[in-house]
Parts: sequence; C-alpha cells; structure tokens
Amino acid sequence: MNTMTRRRISFLPVIIWGYITWSLVPVIIAVAYSFNDGRSRTVWQGFSLRWWIGDPNASVFHDASMRHAIFNSLILAVTTVAIVVPIGISLAVGAHRLRGRSATAVQGLTSIPLITPEIVVGAALLLTFTRLFTGIPLGFPAQLLGNVTFSISAVVVIVRARLVSIGSGFEEAARDLGATRFQALRYVLMPMLWPSVMASLVVVFATVIDDFVITSFLSSGVESETVPLRIYSSVKGGATPALNALATLLVLTSFTVLICGLFGLSLWRKRHGDKGGLRAALSDITQADA
Amino acid sequence: MKRSPRIWPALAAPGATWLLALFGIPFYAVACVAFGTIDPIFRDAIPQWNPLAWDFGQANEVLQSAISGPLQGVFLRTIVYVIAAMIISFAVGFPVAYFLARHAGKHKLLLLTLVIVPFWVNYLMRMLAWVNLLSPSGLFSRFMGIFGIHYNWLDGSPITVIFGLVYGYVPFLILPMYATLERLDWRLVEAARDLGATSRQAFRLVTVPMAQAGMAAAAILIALPMFGDYYTNDLLSRSPRTEMLGNQIDFYINNSQQPQRGAVLVMMLSALLLVALSWYLRSTARYAKERVK
Amino acid sequence: MLRRDFLRNLVITTGGLVVAPSILSACGTSATSTGELVIGTPTSPTKLPTNGEAIADGLAEEKGTLEILNWADYTNPEVIADFEKLFGVTVKTSIYDTEEAAVAKLRNGTLKPDLIIGMTDTALARLVAADLLQPLNKSYIPHFSNLIDGLQSPYYDVDSQYTVAHVIYANGIAYRTDRIDSSVFTSGNGYDAMWDSAHKGKLAVLDSYRDTISLAMFQAGNNDVNTIDADILSAAQENLIRLRDSTNPKVDILSYQELPAGNRDIAFTWSGDILTALGYLPEGVSPEVLGFWYPEQTITANDFLCVPKESKVPVLAHKFIDYLLDTDVALKNQTYVGYQPALSTITVDTLLSSGTIPESLKDSLVTPEKYDSGQRLVSLSPDADALWLDVWAAFTAG
Repeated sequence: MNTMTRRRISFLPVIIWGYITWSLVPVIIAVAYSFNDGRSRTVWQGFSLRWWIGDPNASVFHDASMRHAIFNSLILAVTTVAIVVPIGISLAVGAHRLRGRSATAVQGLTSIPLITPEIVVGAALLLTFTRLFTGIPLGFPAQLLGNVTFSISAVVVIVRARLVSIGSGFEEAARDLGATRFQALRYVLMPMLWPSVMASLVVVFATVIDDFVITSFLSSGVESETVPLRIYSSVKGGATPALNALATLLVLTSFTVLICGLFGLSLWRKRHGDKGGLRAALSDITQADA
Repeated sequence: MKRSPRIWPALAAPGATWLLALFGIPFYAVACVAFGTIDPIFRDAIPQWNPLAWDFGQANEVLQSAISGPLQGVFLRTIVYVIAAMIISFAVGFPVAYFLARHAGKHKLLLLTLVIVPFWVNYLMRMLAWVNLLSPSGLFSRFMGIFGIHYNWLDGSPITVIFGLVYGYVPFLILPMYATLERLDWRLVEAARDLGATSRQAFRLVTVPMAQAGMAAAAILIALPMFGDYYTNDLLSRSPRTEMLGNQIDFYINNSQQPQRGAVLVMMLSALLLVALSWYLRSTARYAKERVK
Repeated sequence: MLRRDFLRNLVITTGGLVVAPSILSACGTSATSTGELVIGTPTSPTKLPTNGEAIADGLAEEKGTLEILNWADYTNPEVIADFEKLFGVTVKTSIYDTEEAAVAKLRNGTLKPDLIIGMTDTALARLVAADLLQPLNKSYIPHFSNLIDGLQSPYYDVDSQYTVAHVIYANGIAYRTDRIDSSVFTSGNGYDAMWDSAHKGKLAVLDSYRDTISLAMFQAGNNDVNTIDADILSAAQENLIRLRDSTNPKVDILSYQELPAGNRDIAFTWSGDILTALGYLPEGVSPEVLGFWYPEQTITANDFLCVPKESKVPVLAHKFIDYLLDTDVALKNQTYVGYQPALSTITVDTLLSSGTIPESLKDSLVTPEKYDSGQRLVSLSPDADALWLDVWAAFTAG
C-alpha cells in the first residue's frame, strides 16, 4: 500500500509540472521572439528592441495601426466595465430578492448567456444590428453593446455568490435599528459587496480586452480593430515580431489589472480582519471565473 | 415602507430589460432571418418578422444537406473533434486538478498560480505561440526534425486542430474541476480505504461518483465554446478538410451572400447544445436524487 | 409537403428535440425584388443605367479624411502618404477579403467608404442595381487618357460611367522553383499539377468561388467560365472535390505571403500576387525561388476604382482616382503592389527595364495580346450564381 501511494505521488507531480511547462513555455517563447533582431517570428537572430521601439515604422511604438488597436481595446474594455458593473450589481441584488415566477424568469435570462457560445451571440447580434436595430452602427457602438450583453451574467454570478455568503442578517439588523430598506442597502450591503465589485471589474475587463468573437462579428473594418482582431488577421502570413510584441502588451495589460485587483482585494480583506490574504483573493477571482 | 418592496424589481429591471432586448430579441431575429426569404437579385436574406409567414425552404435545404449532403461531414467532424478534444482534456486536466486539490502541499499557492496563468493569457496569443512553433521553420518542427519526423503540422491536419482545441480549452476545465475536487469530502474515500477498498477501487467507486456532477459541468463548460469555435481551426489549419460547424457559420454570416444559411446553422448549433445541456441537467438531477436517497 | 419534410429533418437531426408546433403553423413567401441586374459581356457590351448625377465641374476638393475600401496590401503606403501630403488630408483604409462580403457590407451600411479600390466585373452589376455607386465626372480625371484603349470603355461599363480601370492580371499558378520542377507545367496539362497529391498540404487555391471553380473547369478542358449549365457545374464540383481530397488545399488569398515565407509550394492565384510576393521574401532569399506558370487557357481580368454614392468627399475621391492614373505614381505603386497598372504608358518593357521584376517572373506579366486572348468572368444572373455558390459550399464544407 505504501508503494502504491508513493508511486501515485511521484507520477502526479510529473504530470502537473509537465502541464505547467506545456502550457507556459510556448507563450514565453512567443514573448521572447518579440525581441528578435530579424524579421522572423520563428528563427532567432539576436536580441534587439527593434520591434518594440527601434523600428521607425513597424515597431509597436511607432506603427499607427497597432497603437490604434491598443487604444480601441482599452476604450472598449473600460466603457464596457463602466456600464456593465452597475447594471450587473443592481440586477444581482434585485434578482436575489425576487420571489416567484419573475424570479425564475430573471434567473433564466441571466443564466442562458453563460452557456451560449459566443459565436451564437455574435451572429445573432450582427443580424439584429444590420436588420432590426439598424440605428446602431457596427463598430464601437455595436461592439460595446455586444460585450455588455455578454458580460452581464458574469457580474451577476460573482455578486450573487457574495450575496449568498453575506446572508440577510446584517440588513435585517440594520432594518431593526430603524434604517429604511434603501439605507440598509446603501450603507450596510453595498460596502460588504466591495470584493465582488472588485472581482467583477477585473474579470469583465480581462474578458472584454481579450474578446475576439463578438468584437470581430460586430466590427466595421480597421476603424474598430482591437488587439485580438489584429492578432487574428496577422498571424497567418508574413507579420513581423512586432505582432508578438503587440500580443505581449495585451497579456501584460491583463496581468496588471489582475494583480491590481488581487492586491486591492487582499488589502480590503486585511482591513476588514478577514484571513487568507492573497490566496483568498485569488480564489475570489478564480471562483468567479469558473 | 409601503412602496419599498418595489425596489427589488426596480433594481433588476435595467439589466433584465437589457438582456431581453439584446439577447432575447436577437434570437428571434435569427429565426426571422433563417425562415425569411431571399432577395432575388442579391441573394441576401430578407427577414420575415411575422412568424405566421415563415418560409422553411432554406432551413429545409440546410437540414437536408446536414443529413445527407456536404454538411454531413461538417457536423460529424465537429462532434468527433470536440469529443476527442474533451477526452484528452480530461486525461490532462483531471490529474492536474486532482493533484492541486489533494497533494499540492506547501507549494499549493505557487502551483495554483501557475495553473491559473494560462487562463489569463489571451487565447489568440496562445494560438499565435503555437502557430510560430508549428510552422515549418518553427522550434517545434525543428525539434521533431531531430528525431527524423518531418511533418507540416499546419497543413490542415485534424491532429493539430484537436490538439489546438485541447491547448486552448484545458485551462477552462482544470479550474472548475479543481473547485469540485477541493470541496469533496475526502473522509469518505478514507473510509472506503479503511473498509478494504484498494486505492483504485476507492477512486472508481467513491471519488468519481462524488465528482461526477462537477465533471459533467466542466465538460459542458468547455464543450459549448468548442462547438462554436472557428478561430482555432482557422489559425491552425484553414483547410476544407478540417472545416467545423463554427467555420461554416462564420463563412455564411460574414463572408457570403447567404446569411440565412448561417442563421439556420446558428439555430441548429443552439439545438445541438440544448440536447447536451438537457443531458447535463438530467444527470445532475439524477445525481441530486441519489444523494437524497 | 415542405413543412413536413422540414419537421422530419428537424426530428432526425436534433434527436427528437421538441419544437413548438405553433411556429410551424403557416407557410408563405414575401419576396422583395429590387430592380434588375444589367450585365455586360465581351460579346454584348452594356451601357449601365444612370442613377443620380455626377458631381458638378470645377469644385474644390474637400479637406478631412478619405476612407478607402481596399484589398490588403493593395496600395503602396508611400503612395498614400504622398497623396496625404499633396492634398493635406488623411487617408484611412478598410480591408475586404471577398467581393461578396464587401457588397453585403456596403448594402447593409457596415462599410461606408468614400472610394473603393479593386472590385471587379463580377460585383459591378450588383453594386449598380443596389444603387451604391455614383456616376463619375471625368473632368476631375485628366489622366483618364493614360488607360489602355480597350479599358477606356470596357464591356461591363461602356463609356466608364461608374468605373475607372485600375490594374490588369491573369489567373495562373505560382510556385516555388526550388521545390517544384517547372517542367510539370510544360509537359502535358499544366493544370494537373494542382491535383498532384505530391503537394499535399503545401498547396492553396483562391478563396474566391468564381476563380477557383473556373480552375476546375479549365483543368477539365472547359473554357465556358460563365456557364449556367448544371451538368458542367456538377462536373466542376466533382473535380474540385478530387483536388481537395488529394491535396488538402488551403483556401485563402494569402499566397503572396505564404509562398515567399516557404510555407507552401504551389498556389492557384492572380498573376499580380507573385510580384507582390517579391516584397515578402525573407532577407537573403533569391527572387529566383518564385515562379509563375501562365496558362494558355485562363482568365484575364482587370479591376477598377469607383466612388460610392454616399461618399462624403466625392471630389477628393475623384482626385485620388486621377492620382493613381498618373504614370509615375502608378509605377511607384506597382513596385509595392506587384499588380500591373492598366495604363498604356506602362508596358511590359517599362516594367522589365525598371529592374524591379526579375527575368524569371517575366512570364507572369500580362501583354495586350495575352490580355485579349483570356476568358473573362462576368456577373451571373441570381439563379446561375446560386448554382455556383452551391458548388462552392460543397467544396468548402470539406
């Protein structure tokens, strides 16, 4: 029995480290090639910053179309977050208290987007914007509406999980002490929702900045090209390592936001006497994602 | 006090209205395009907003093609690729999640972080990485060349596409799988061992049944996007020989003058997924019932 | 009957999934027709109907932004930069991959360019029927007379009311001379090379249904590339499927990048692409590795420039057209784009002597004689087009 245990223990670490290597090394190599001195994305010709800042036309820093794509991605992600987080929180809080048939309806309405493939949403919205709601032009407006639609449910799930863990005790206590329903909501519940708001911000920002399918279906050519769209259209063919640099920037942006969110969360937890720190913060965000 | 209970519907209203307008209605629009008519000059779709006047000619043609025509291959291929990718994803993802949940010990935070990283790396960036490695001059191809294996991985091979799907979606399987295993009551497994079960028996008869609902959820979670995937295939193959359902939808909706066919395919994809979903709901319901017993 | 078939099929495919019977309660059609397609062919040239009026003479060009709809890598960025400087304006470019998609997006308003570059005859009838183009005022285009004679009044648009010819090219086979022996094209039927399983995974055809289906027709010795004969089309379909099964082709328009990068060996493509490919050769690779087989039986074509009716800067768009017809500008553009300008002032000899085209690719150039002897793709009637699209659907579904 002992040997059995030992064998399992020794074979599982191989798998997990193998998996980690397999999942990360290709990405690290792609990042490394953004520093390639030659035009190739596959043959190493020495280190240089040529594709980051050196090249006066084709580097990420100088290529106007790449800068434009970065700008588009950031604007799209920030505006989506700004719209979807308030809507999502209010929907989650409201739906949490609804009872009866309307509760079931809202529950259904918020969970179906979670299980719908993006291509279905993208195609449906494209057909809608070009044939029914023709006042909404493709490009940024349509991309914004599409991304908000696809993200609402994520916020609802995150906030609802928090609502469940808070329970109704605090609010009831506040009401017993004479607070109105609104006051209890505003001064008792809202501050306690803060971790889920933070997690929503991070998750939605990262989802939208990485989004390809919906943003692509609803784009209107180069004018509304985002970084993932740019990567997609240039991977095939003769793109230079500047493309790797662009993709690296995208990844760095996601991670910066993630890390800021993690530290914000663990700080909040510390200040409110919760234990767990970083690990708890990590699980806040990952649970929310799953 | 008197008016306050209205606060909850009022809070839910903006979000619910939004979803109704931009999620519910678009589904109706897809049906109206799919069952609409075709402009005789441009062969473009003219939606039919009145359900009483829906025309099923196009839909019928597409269905016919899916049963015995050119689309048959696309449907079969899609299903085979997704199932193959799912099996491999479990083979890779389950042990990883299992180790994380049970044996990670003091490295847990580090390992968890490393396993989460791919989750946050842009999907297209990860595909870009592999396109570079797999291209004939790429590191992977050159590495395989050392062993005398000269193969153009990007020439439209199903292996590359399935592998790409696994690489792309396995992080989305590991996390929920880990969350499930983490929450399991492992004392039951120990009890089984104490009662004389071998570790294999305990795994098969206790761990797996307990984790079944979580496994089904994880399977659904990655199967749904895989069924609609077209970009993985497009980047790693772009050959008619690996054409999947998502590619056909992308083609008809974005690149042809026959969007009504795309709309029919979108409806068929949704129907296919509804089947998968109802299977999942049934199996979780059964699981819940067994637990009550 | 139709409805019952539909229901049965639905039941078969969805495994008995229930569908609300109420949605199937009625059948009916309400077709919307919008005008007629006016199609010119080389044997019966056509003067297109006039919709709307051209801009007045003598207007000053607008300032601001000129939005161009173009193929990828189809205009030299330097040529555009020069134009921006010359007129003090900004030029933005949107890209299209296929004419069909572009026409659809122009119709539904997704794309609203001020100028369109590179559309061909196969899209023109629909552009005009949808009333998407404005008649041109040639007083803004003094360089019009530089165009080769045959294209000053082309069969598809007699008197060039809406269009101004841009480049000329022919369909053919581009290949890597270091991997494929050119003798395969000269001994026997050169088209057979596209069906040779030796090139499996290293071969591409155009993501353009008219061009690629014609390839299958030429290989079988059929020159009627505007056919509406269902038998010929189904033979072409079988032939294409044979190609697909033996060579596992890529279907895209990227051979001008993938051939020089070494990722593919042989591709059915437009002749201009092989000249574009020169610019994509990795450093240190000789241009001699690129070859082009110009078939005796093939398609020759030209594309054109046109101004959408909704152009926000129509005068500026006219000026851009005129600018591209300037011999020096056209030459500068050619060195980047590869495609031959449709100008009588730029002959094959001019191009060869400019030194940008290696001797080995001389065959890819289109002479006036070659141009005249090629087949032309013309717009198809909607019904015929549907037949062609079905062949394409069967091919791309793998």
